[in-house]
Amino acid sequence: MSKVSIGEFEEIVMLTVAVLYKDAYGVAIKKDLEKRSKRKVSLGAMRTALKRLEKKGLLVSEFGEVTAVRGGKRKRYFKVTPYGKKVLEQVMETRKRLWDAIPELAFDM
Amino acid sequence: MGQQKHIAPPHSLIRFFRWFCDPELVEDLEGDMTELFEERSRANVARAKTLLVWEILMLFRPGIIRNFEGNKNLNNYGMIKNYFKSAWRSLMKYKTFSAINIFSLTIGMAACMVIFLFVKDERSFDAFHKKRDKIYRLCEVQSFPGTNTQNVALSMPGMGPTMTNEFPEIESFVRFWNWGDQLLELGDKKITIENVAGADSTFFEMFDYPLVIGDPAEVIDEPLDAVVSEEVAIKLFNKKDVIGETFVIDGDQCIIRGVMENVPENSHLQFNILLNIKSATLDNPDFDSQFGGNFLNTYFTLNEGADLEKMAERYPDYLSRNTGRDNINEMYKLYLQPLVDVHLASTDVEHDYNNYRKFNGTYIDVFILVGIFILIIASLNFMNLTTARASNRAKEVGVRKTIGALKGQLFNQFIFESIMLSCMALIFAIVLTFIALPFLNILIERQLSLLAIFSEPTLIVIILAITITLGLLAGIYPSIYLSSFKPVIVLKGFKSYEKKSMFRSSLIIIQFSLALGMIIATLVVIQQLTYMKNKDIGFTTDHILLLDMNEQTREKYDELKQALLSESNILGVTGSGQRLGNNFHQWGFKVMHDTGVAQLAPSNVFVDHDYLDVYGIKLLQGRSFSKEFATDDGLAFIINESFAKDLGFDDPIGQKVGHSWYPNDSLGTVIGVTEDFNFNSLHYKVNKLSIVVHTDWGFSEMSIKLNGENIAQAVKDVERIYDQFVTDYPIDYEFLDKHFQELYKSDEQMGAVITIIAALSIFIGCMGLFGLASISIQRRIKEVGIRKVMGASVNNLVTLLSKNFTLMILVSFVLATPVTYLFISRWLENFAFRVQVDPIMFFAGGFIALVIALVTISFHVIKAANSNPVNSLKYE
Repeated sequence: MSKVSIGEFEEIVMLTVAVLYKDAYGVAIKKDLEKRSKRKVSLGAMRTALKRLEKKGLLVSEFGEVTAVRGGKRKRYFKVTPYGKKVLEQVMETRKRLWDAIPELAFDM
Repeated sequence: MGQQKHIAPPHSLIRFFRWFCDPELVEDLEGDMTELFEERSRANVARAKTLLVWEILMLFRPGIIRNFEGNKNLNNYGMIKNYFKSAWRSLMKYKTFSAINIFSLTIGMAACMVIFLFVKDERSFDAFHKKRDKIYRLCEVQSFPGTNTQNVALSMPGMGPTMTNEFPEIESFVRFWNWGDQLLELGDKKITIENVAGADSTFFEMFDYPLVIGDPAEVIDEPLDAVVSEEVAIKLFNKKDVIGETFVIDGDQCIIRGVMENVPENSHLQFNILLNIKSATLDNPDFDSQFGGNFLNTYFTLNEGADLEKMAERYPDYLSRNTGRDNINEMYKLYLQPLVDVHLASTDVEHDYNNYRKFNGTYIDVFILVGIFILIIASLNFMNLTTARASNRAKEVGVRKTIGALKGQLFNQFIFESIMLSCMALIFAIVLTFIALPFLNILIERQLSLLAIFSEPTLIVIILAITITLGLLAGIYPSIYLSSFKPVIVLKGFKSYEKKSMFRSSLIIIQFSLALGMIIATLVVIQQLTYMKNKDIGFTTDHILLLDMNEQTREKYDELKQALLSESNILGVTGSGQRLGNNFHQWGFKVMHDTGVAQLAPSNVFVDHDYLDVYGIKLLQGRSFSKEFATDDGLAFIINESFAKDLGFDDPIGQKVGHSWYPNDSLGTVIGVTEDFNFNSLHYKVNKLSIVVHTDWGFSEMSIKLNGENIAQAVKDVERIYDQFVTDYPIDYEFLDKHFQELYKSDEQMGAVITIIAALSIFIGCMGLFGLASISIQRRIKEVGIRKVMGASVNNLVTLLSKNFTLMILVSFVLATPVTYLFISRWLENFAFRVQVDPIMFFAGGFIALVIALVTISFHVIKAANSNPVNSLKYE
């Protein structure tokens, strides 16, 4: 197991970044995330998660071009690193192993 | 769809965001926000703004907020953080010292907090009346011939109405007449209710006792109208809305017109049922112009700008016109006592029956003084220890200065540290007070609560301000001292910096002077209290049960007495009109001289024949009352020694005397003279007293002397016999010694507080001494080593090391003695019967302080004296 562990929200954020691929910047991630997970996400919560993930080395980011909209501010695009991908896979593996281990009758209660 | 103009997000919000946001995140986040805002504002601008505010608030979180430390921005945050860090490190490094330092301040603060709560509670008395500053109580100075002059809270029924008529300064009056316990009849049910009182109909307009139901202006307008407390309502009728219900007192049917909240603890008037005052005087239409007897309290509201002195000039004229007695002004002087003084400034007022939990207000000042003392002691301690510990921080100061710290900055650092410590002490003090309060409440019989502080924001601010000021003041000297170190000297080695610590010694001396003063005061207070407890007051108070009399017991007095006396555990039974332990009522008294009949007014009590025997009151001359002489019932008088002296006869026995209403030709005789026994509290001199038997008057109390070895059984016997004779009234009794304890409660509580505070202050002082001793002995450890090598014995060394401290205690003793002497003699003047201020107490106090101090330092002294010189000398 990798020593890096990620929380549920971080996982969702990373997956959304992966889904959006070339277009993963703040507002887009937020909207996609809200659409798919059906919950309200503040910029603050999301940006802290992104910052944390970047610090852990699971994401990288770079600025885009200057545009006329957004008050002239550049977008920051995020990308999942190969290490990030590995961690995501590990999380999925763990889940899968757990699911497989559940006896048939466990939910019949 | 036309091109819409971009609406930019509000600049102020964005500026706020830019201020707190991490610079690395600011660009893309601001972009994201702007994009969202632009999109949302197309739909609804107001909503977009709200959402923006929310977004920004959600961004205000760790991770987004930039680092405010000094290395990135030019401000002091980083440095202050470092101050905090180094303060914490030095706290942790010297744990004992820090604990002593903080804990002594904690104790001081906690003591002050408790005193504050106590004072606040006492001062809250009667403060809930909105008109409190206008309300006055009518009092009298009575100087009857043949008795001691006394201030009395009682007045005559006619005074309220007539004075209100005659003095334009008086707006309104209320008379309050306490009828004590009353038996209420509700159909078949009979219930005794305590504290039933009568008052004029304006009572609820003058005083703000909140009514739950009823209009304050008219609840007791008519005779037999009643207001009951909620508690009584439930007790009588099992419900709160009892308007229109009736009950019977003394054959009169009273109707309930109002329900009031239970009278609060902090009210000097206490009553459970209040009736219109005329309910008791239905067959006396002249009540409002009745003069003569003083038996009720009168309260006035005065208008703005009323001049009490100018009013006082007109009292004599008023009195002589209304009472129709020429010599009235020789006997009576009226004065008005402000309501706010009634609770705390009535110590000199006698016959003060309606003054619940009356407290000696001068003790409040004593408490405040003592509170300030302990705070001073604690702060001096704090100063002293911090300064003494300076050498530990010297290197730090040197390094900081070398790096470039300014003197001012270092000063700030140490002040900051000191404030931090005092704030910590405050937190501990609050916790300590919280823990200690329940126990203290039992001791001083109060219901103090920290809520009294925390429910008032201003008080919290004041306490914080005091704490910070304390930290500031206590920190100034150590901070100046520490920040003045010269780096070169300090870094080379501290030793050359060592000066004689006059300043620190004088701090110790001040501390110990205060503590010593309190110890001595405590000793004298305890001595006085013990004296009062043990003084032979001339009669027995032990194992005397006082049985409250009622109609039935009065009727069957003789049978009840015989039945009680037949029990082996009951040693004596007698009756009396008043209880021992306060001044007896003064009545007119006639003495036949050769020159004519003189009118006097000594204290009087009417009793049963065997009163003197049951109470063990000793006769100096003559005989006691006896049933064998029929004239002993009403015509025989026993007077006390003071009165006998006052009368001036060579032989008082056989002299013709009598009540003022006896005709001159049928006076009684003096049959005996008793010793001066203290029927009043020991605060007062023994007044002139005349004792007489009137078996037909109806005693108010039966005194039953029980066998001290078998109290429980004796009480059971009394209860059983009582129940045989009395069916209507439940038994109600008290013990006389308990009643006497009540007399000195104010004094006892003061004694308890002073003792605790004295103990705490000597404790704090010793903690300081302990710390200081360890430092100063540590400094001399090489000296001790050398002396030991040269052949000094352990004893020599102990003496040497203790010498300084002993000297300090001696100086404190010299300083503390005169001030304490003055203070304590003033206190003793409160008591007519008091102990002499004994020099032994002073030496005992000094000795105690010295022993405690020496024991405290002995730990360090003995350790140093016994240490192996090799250890202290091998490094140089």
